[in-house]
Amino acid sequence: MDHHQRWHPTVNEREFIERALQSDLRVDGRRPFDFRRLKILFGREDGSAEVQLGDTRVMGYATAQLVQPYKDRPNEGTLAIFTEFSPMADPAFEPGRPGESAIELGRVVDRGLRESRAVDMESLCVVAGKHVWSVRVDLHILDNGGNLIDAANIAALAALSTFRRPECTVGGEDGQQVTVHDPEVRDPLPLTIHHLPIAVTFAYFGEGNIMVIDPTYKEEAVMGGRMTATINSNGDVCSIQKAGGEGVMSSVIMQCLRIASVKAADITSKIKNEVNSYTSAKALQKVKRLPASALKKDNAPDVAMKESSDGALETQSTKPSSDGQQINKEPPSVVEDNKQEDVEPMLSECNPEAQSESRLTAGGSDETQEAISPKSLKDAVKPKHKRKKKQHSKINV
Amino acid sequence: MRDLQLSLNQTQRVRLEAALHELQTVAPAAAVTVADTIPVNDEDNILKGHGTSDQDGEVVATLCGVVERVNKLVYVRTLRARYKPEVGDIIVGRVIEIAPKRWRLEINFSQDAVLMLSSMNLPDGIQRRRTAVDELNMRTIFEENDVICAEVRGFQHDGSLHLQARSQKYGKLERGQLLVVPAYLVKRRKQHFHHLEQYDVDLILGCNGFIWVGEHVVVGENANMMENKLNLSAEVENFTPLETRKHICRLANAVRVLSALGFTLTVELIIETAEASVSSNIEINNMLGAEFYVQTAEREVKRRADLLRKKSGGR
Amino acid sequence: MEYVNPLTGFRVDGRRPNEMRQLKGEVGVVARADGSALFEMGNTRVIAAVYGPREVQNKGQQVNSKDALVRCEYRMADFSTGDRRRKPKGDRRSTEISLVIRQTMEASILTHLMPRSQIDIFVQVLQADGGTRAACINAATLALADAGIPMRDIVTSCSADLNYIEDSAGGPDVTVGFLTKMDKVTLLQMDAKLPMDTFETVMDLAIEGCKAIANYIREVLLENTKRLECQRDH
Repeated sequence: MDHHQRWHPTVNEREFIERALQSDLRVDGRRPFDFRRLKILFGREDGSAEVQLGDTRVMGYATAQLVQPYKDRPNEGTLAIFTEFSPMADPAFEPGRPGESAIELGRVVDRGLRESRAVDMESLCVVAGKHVWSVRVDLHILDNGGNLIDAANIAALAALSTFRRPECTVGGEDGQQVTVHDPEVRDPLPLTIHHLPIAVTFAYFGEGNIMVIDPTYKEEAVMGGRMTATINSNGDVCSIQKAGGEGVMSSVIMQCLRIASVKAADITSKIKNEVNSYTSAKALQKVKRLPASALKKDNAPDVAMKESSDGALETQSTKPSSDGQQINKEPPSVVEDNKQEDVEPMLSECNPEAQSESRLTAGGSDETQEAISPKSLKDAVKPKHKRKKKQHSKINV
Repeated sequence: MRDLQLSLNQTQRVRLEAALHELQTVAPAAAVTVADTIPVNDEDNILKGHGTSDQDGEVVATLCGVVERVNKLVYVRTLRARYKPEVGDIIVGRVIEIAPKRWRLEINFSQDAVLMLSSMNLPDGIQRRRTAVDELNMRTIFEENDVICAEVRGFQHDGSLHLQARSQKYGKLERGQLLVVPAYLVKRRKQHFHHLEQYDVDLILGCNGFIWVGEHVVVGENANMMENKLNLSAEVENFTPLETRKHICRLANAVRVLSALGFTLTVELIIETAEASVSSNIEINNMLGAEFYVQTAEREVKRRADLLRKKSGGR
Repeated sequence: MEYVNPLTGFRVDGRRPNEMRQLKGEVGVVARADGSALFEMGNTRVIAAVYGPREVQNKGQQVNSKDALVRCEYRMADFSTGDRRRKPKGDRRSTEISLVIRQTMEASILTHLMPRSQIDIFVQVLQADGGTRAACINAATLALADAGIPMRDIVTSCSADLNYIEDSAGGPDVTVGFLTKMDKVTLLQMDAKLPMDTFETVMDLAIEGCKAIANYIREVLLENTKRLECQRDH
């Protein structure tokens, strides 16, 4: 059981926290609806991110692998969330089998991402019914300072936003041969992310009358109930988890959702900024090692060189995948959502126009043309065709 | 019909339904369910007892049961629930663990009950301090799975429930059957030990819903048991006449039928039911069958109706 | 696929959009349990058994001695769904549902009245046809009341969805657990993207469902209590 050994506040501590909350004070000096300081760090490789939310530290790591799709969804890739509660982070976490809270956390993050179709699954399809990309996000709790769900959710989003999967093309006589290109040869592709579902957790105290956002470890030990609302910056509710506990009025829930949508917008822009600065830094790095890779590549160097001034990295990757994605992009849910999505510059690479627009505001140069030009790259790699036997099979990025 | 798997035929089903329906018309009870408001007519200083809570000034039931009022006290008497001990209750329990200086007993309460070595008479009947030797010999008094009769002594400071067995009548129960029925079917009475002389059987109606039907033991015999044990072989000691055994089974089955029907278990009713089975020539093994079940229900309806008529006639 | 026929306004199974499925509740279905219940919502059938309050079996699990320890185990019978395959015990879904049911019931059980004891709730899905989570909570409420365990309020649960489709179709689905007397939401689970005001409508619909179920559950309990009391004698 996971409540084994969990820290229990003393009667005095409990009373102190509750009393303070009654007069809108929190033990760490925040106001009820403030998040703790959020810090997002990225690893050396694409798709790894570490999130610090106050004392809470969660590491997210995204990888992908070519697998056979599920029978009922032959043209969709898969996304799976795995959680690891290391006993290092909290004595209450037991080594071995994941406990209840680890499973709940994984399910909440998973549902928020998957059921709201945040990541385009159809663009992960290579050959329908045969090969699709299976994206896996591992979430490691490094330090439990409370509110693991929100931190883990941000870590998952940051990891997915920076994740790049190797490009692959379909060829051969039967049109079923899959060539996975080496990241050195062709720049790997980012995922299509339509929107960022942000988890915002509320803790309820008293008889559900007092609530705070982003509870700390101590507040979690005292709280009577908890609700996690996963919401995107458009104000769409993607998932809600309130697993029992102290009851609250439905009007309070709606109030929470409104607060959550404001918070979600803040966090979304925070994540986007961090991701953007990471990708531009990464692009700058790329310039340095270009001479080496230039030997292999035919006409890539000059394109990449030009880009580097602006820092837009995704450019090359846009075209080959966008053909297929444009068609499948629309999730069959509510129509009005899609409109909003189009207006908002998303992290998706499926609409290069929007993408480059956002860049323009930032950098202000005329890279739009370049963004489309490297399409021709696709043909250039033909000679490497012989290599495909080696590289094909299994790739872990 | 919790315990008996009955296959009633069409006629029997109709008869049973008619009988049970008859019972329900007799008395409209002040039944409440969880979260029902109990009307208190704005009376002041109402005392809220068991099964009630205060929600925004209203008295609200937290249990399913019947509202009872004693002067200012309002409480909900539960029906199906675990046993709620009261000091002085006579209970029957089963030993599940022997711990230092104490036995732990299962008595259908929310915790195991504790019987301290110091809260019971020693087999030799001498009043003295319990020594380490006594402690080592605890298993010779009660072993695991023994059925014991004792009295509720009270709650200790740590919240555990303690029992005592400081009388000759308490102690180990042997040569009989233990029946477990819902605790609400046993009413607290002056007398819970019954010696049914006509059958040579002891009937103990434990307040916790554990009922003992066993061969009659002469009080005081226990004291001599230790000595007797040496002389008598196990065979002789365990001998119970066949006639007595049959009586035990008949009474036990009567209890089973009555509890399956949800009738309050009183000695009178148990005996009456057992007698009825004899007079209508029903074999012991057939007592648990559909026919006797329906008959018992019908007899009870008639009995209650008679009782009611007598009452109103008396007025 | 159309879930609501545009011509007739009826759903695939012939119900009106806001019509609930046929409810059936029965208490006392497991002889050895302290409390038990069978609950049906249309073709979804769930059985729940409650053991306790009883002595804590594993002292290590006891959080404190002032409150009863509540445990819950949710199981889905292998034969409960269309495809009959063996599911591993303790998969992620059922572990989460166990947790959700436990915490929902804990919100209503007056655990402080039963110190040093534990209450075990076992729920088993016999037949799954959407809304199993809700049916499990309703069955558990009935079983707990049958076991005579003191509760603050009746918790009922109902799921509603935008298109009024069943769970498996993957439409937006909202499950609400509701404390009727206190008028508070204890359980709220939702997947799939919805604009906020649409969500509010769906949640309100589910709350209405919960209230209707609460009325039904109370009827069942009241009838059962009356029957027991009358049979008992006075």
